Amino acid sequence: MSENNDSEGERDMEASKRQSRTVLVFLLLVGFLIALPFFMDNRFYLRLATEILIYGLLAMSLDVLLGYTGLLSFMHCAYMGIGAYTVALYLKFVDPASSWWFLMILGVGATFLVALPIGWLQVRTGGFAFALLTVAFGMMYYTIVWKARGVTGGDDGLIGLPSPDITLGNWVLGSLKDPISIYFFTLGVVLVCYLLTKRIMHSPFGAVLESIRENEERASFIGVHVHRYKLMGWMLACTLGGVSGVLFTFLKCSVSPTVMESSAGGALLMMTLLGGVGTLWGPFIGAAVYIFVQDYVSTMTEHWMIFLGLVLIFLVLFTPKGIAGFRDSLLAGEKK
Amino acid sequence: MDILRIEELSHFFGGVTAVNRVNLLFVENELRSIIGPNGAGKTTLFNVITGRFPASSGRVIFRGRDITGRSSHEIVRFGICRTFQKSSIFSGLTVFENVRIARQAWHGGSHRIFSRRDSLKAVHQETQAILERLGLTEKARLLASNLSHGDQRLLEIGIALAGHPKLLLLDEPTAGMSPRETEATTQLIRQLARKVAVVLVEHDMDVVMSISDKISVMHQGAIIAEGTPDEIQRNELVREAYLGKEE
Repeated sequence: MSENNDSEGERDMEASKRQSRTVLVFLLLVGFLIALPFFMDNRFYLRLATEILIYGLLAMSLDVLLGYTGLLSFMHCAYMGIGAYTVALYLKFVDPASSWWFLMILGVGATFLVALPIGWLQVRTGGFAFALLTVAFGMMYYTIVWKARGVTGGDDGLIGLPSPDITLGNWVLGSLKDPISIYFFTLGVVLVCYLLTKRIMHSPFGAVLESIRENEERASFIGVHVHRYKLMGWMLACTLGGVSGVLFTFLKCSVSPTVMESSAGGALLMMTLLGGVGTLWGPFIGAAVYIFVQDYVSTMTEHWMIFLGLVLIFLVLFTPKGIAGFRDSLLAGEKK
Repeated sequence: MDILRIEELSHFFGGVTAVNRVNLLFVENELRSIIGPNGAGKTTLFNVITGRFPASSGRVIFRGRDITGRSSHEIVRFGICRTFQKSSIFSGLTVFENVRIARQAWHGGSHRIFSRRDSLKAVHQETQAILERLGLTEKARLLASNLSHGDQRLLEIGIALAGHPKLLLLDEPTAGMSPRETEATTQLIRQLARKVAVVLVEHDMDVVMSISDKISVMHQGAIIAEGTPDEIQRNELVREAYLGKEE
């Protein structure tokens, strides 16, 4: 018995060592991201970094659905689009001078309200049927946005939108027009979302989602109301997608139907798979690689998708768990 | 006191009658076995009781409450837990987490979104107790998919136990187990039956005859005999329908 306790203590120590190392890496990374604007004075790349953070958040929200709840969505980008368009429409038609926090609540709230009935219907299915329904609804949103030319501007989208100031109470901290301000603003929002989501996935609630991912039938036979929890996982994923949509409009001061295209849904899925599902941080790496490759290779050839396709094929064949899987293999190798 | 009463229960698959007007009465602290040739409807009966399949007609009454037509997760929460013929576990989770999540689902706390999993202290301790009882403590940190077949069967019993059952339905728990594992599992089931009512579907006649208080024999969807192991072994009808063929 005492031997057992010893080995357990050792294992706990090892686990806590690994945990403190993870925290250290995380803090270093955050430090790097905070320092980034001070040594990267190219405004174009700073905006690209902001876009990576926004798409990273969206890919992470897809990971909540795919990697934790076990539900596949081909068109998760639609819920970014709903958040983005809600804010854009409000800025254009109602109040160009609204505050950022009001727009945030509005965009996220609208995404929530749209996602709720759709989710209620979708969670009654699973597997392929679920995935196909995401395509069906995604195409529907896209068509609405594309055809309602009078309101949404059709395929031109909404352009030249005003940007709100970043305020905290009565203080004005900066304008979202300024690339450095929007970068820090986005970094802050994304960090808060990441930490909250991580916390939620490690909670008893997150454990229920994992059980559904692993074995839906077994989950219902331990007494889990599977539909209810799938809906909650869906709502969390869509709400986070809505946050990324609001950030998107803040950054671009414009929005067009391309964010809701089926190819955007495919790209998003690729970012998440590329980074590694079920890790939350992996999709950020996936988004970074995807957007960087897209930007870098597309200056050389317009067929940049071929290059990205090759990267993805390599990853799928050799590291099925994505880039995040590399770390696990490295850790496993270290142990041996 | 009776715990589960099944009245005139039937289940039709298309044109086939899988369960045919079954009447059964299970009482507390009883270990009941249901035997019968393959395709007799034993597993289908479990599926109808636990809400996996709908009842075509008849009623299932659990501790005085009509549970016919309730969904599976509700029936589990009333106190009927089960295992499956083909192991149904959470393969990608650790052995500990398999039992812990089942305990959590029974205990409550699943709506907590900001606390840590081990903040549910009672769940944590009870999980350890269940693993100890199954002899899986040493393997608690392994992924369930890395367990041997026999240990996976055992783990599934643990998952069912974690749901704090008043009635435990075991569908061929010893299928594919080695003789030693079968012996240990038989012992475990015998112990469990002192605290909860157990219904066992089993093909291993040595196991059935040695541990059952009472046996019901199913044939072509219907119950054709019921009695103590001795009575069943002497029953002519049973010999003809089932045991006789094997001799």
